[in-house]
Amino acid sequence: MSDRFWGYIRPNGSVGIRNTILILSGTIYANSTAERVAATISGAVAITHPLGRCQVRPDLRMTFKTLVGMGKNPNVGGVVVIDHFREEGCTAEDIAAEIAKTGKPVEVVNIRRAGGAIEATAEATRKALYIKRELSKQKRELVSVSNLLFGLNCGTSDTSSGIGSNVALGVCSDKIIAQGGRSVLAEVMELMGAEEYIRQRSVSPEIGEKIVGYIEHLERRALASGEDIRGSQPTGDNILGGLSTIEEKSLGAYMKSGSAPIINGLEYAEECTQKDPGVYVMYTPGHGSESITGIAAAGAQILVFSTGGGHTISHPIMPTIKITGNSESFALMKDTMELDLSGIFRDELTIEQAGELIYEEVLETCSGKLTKSEILHEQTGFAIHRVGVSI
Amino acid sequence: MAREIHVISPKDNTGTVISRNMAKGRVVEIELDGAIQSIEILKDIPYGHKIAVRPIRKGDAIWKYGLGIGTALTDIQVGDHVHIHNIESNRGRGDLYQVATAKEAL
Repeated sequence: MSDRFWGYIRPNGSVGIRNTILILSGTIYANSTAERVAATISGAVAITHPLGRCQVRPDLRMTFKTLVGMGKNPNVGGVVVIDHFREEGCTAEDIAAEIAKTGKPVEVVNIRRAGGAIEATAEATRKALYIKRELSKQKRELVSVSNLLFGLNCGTSDTSSGIGSNVALGVCSDKIIAQGGRSVLAEVMELMGAEEYIRQRSVSPEIGEKIVGYIEHLERRALASGEDIRGSQPTGDNILGGLSTIEEKSLGAYMKSGSAPIINGLEYAEECTQKDPGVYVMYTPGHGSESITGIAAAGAQILVFSTGGGHTISHPIMPTIKITGNSESFALMKDTMELDLSGIFRDELTIEQAGELIYEEVLETCSGKLTKSEILHEQTGFAIHRVGVSI
Repeated sequence: MAREIHVISPKDNTGTVISRNMAKGRVVEIELDGAIQSIEILKDIPYGHKIAVRPIRKGDAIWKYGLGIGTALTDIQVGDHVHIHNIESNRGRGDLYQVATAKEAL
């Protein structure tokens, strides 16, 4: 029998670990209105960004898909989408229509039609008020861990990451998958050098090639902009720190994905509709906020961020647990860090015990325990990946 | 006592130095294959760098995380520093790539 946690069951059967009302800005020019509304409504979260206007088509689609993914994420109970005019291909109406397919309440406010920023603020605040009141009636229910889509990411890594906290995170991921859950590994640039192991772990040669293709594609994009990543890896800093080869560096990051089979690849911000337990690999860059936003758009309810140096990153709608194997980093960054796993290096914790500690923290957080970043309203983790220029 | 060398997998022939006192001539104890073994440190090795915990022959795979991270360029004795001077990558090399070709491929 699988472990369980207390979650919110959505109309489409997905399970959230928060019951957030999201005030979603469709374009940069709705950001301030969205922020005013969120500041007024208890527990509301605003997602704002600099995009949605004058983007090349592939970028506009990426913005659209990401914003829709924020609304569809099971942690979100209801949404108000705000825009200021109409951006063909990314209108508030289009975004809302996609989100509404989940069955959750979604409202649209257009600043121009409302009669200006103040009127739009009033209209959106009132709409959010009624959604919030409805959401406040919903109770948590006991559900299986198999409902989890578990996000994996690392950043500001140091020596302790690859040999400590990432390995322990892999143990936690395996434990969730063994009970029917799914994990999302991302940051494909940091898989460069791990290609052979990815091929071996993938459920079929086609899936292995698909994911190796992501790595090559991102590498070619970087090369085309003049950055030879493979030729510069490991970096001078890495070599001084003791990393000798690109595969040593990448495999340290790859360790956080544990040993479960790799089921499929996901494009950036693609919803993970496949239900097979295992690891899914998403095409995201190493940029922490862009990466975890892609993972949140896939539908992940929770993410563990492994960081040797310590971090403040926290996604606005996907609780982000920070772990480190470096006790000094934990002391310096304690206000936004959850777990100090440095006992691994003092024979106080085995890797399995450290993985178990992460797992317990994940389950408690799923049932409602707040991360430090949530309490502090630290929402540093939202950014949308881009492929082209502004036009 | 604090551990000084961290070996991730029983398969590994290298460990990571997690002490700032890995000085040539010291004898350090590590647990390997379920037994405590003494290793004489052959060179000063900085924190975070790798040390050979099993004898390695030229051409052998270098193991860390239970996974291959490169190939030995020389024989490496137990207690020696394992780094870019005596191992090399098995994966792609930047000098085999050209920016111009990549642009065409896009």
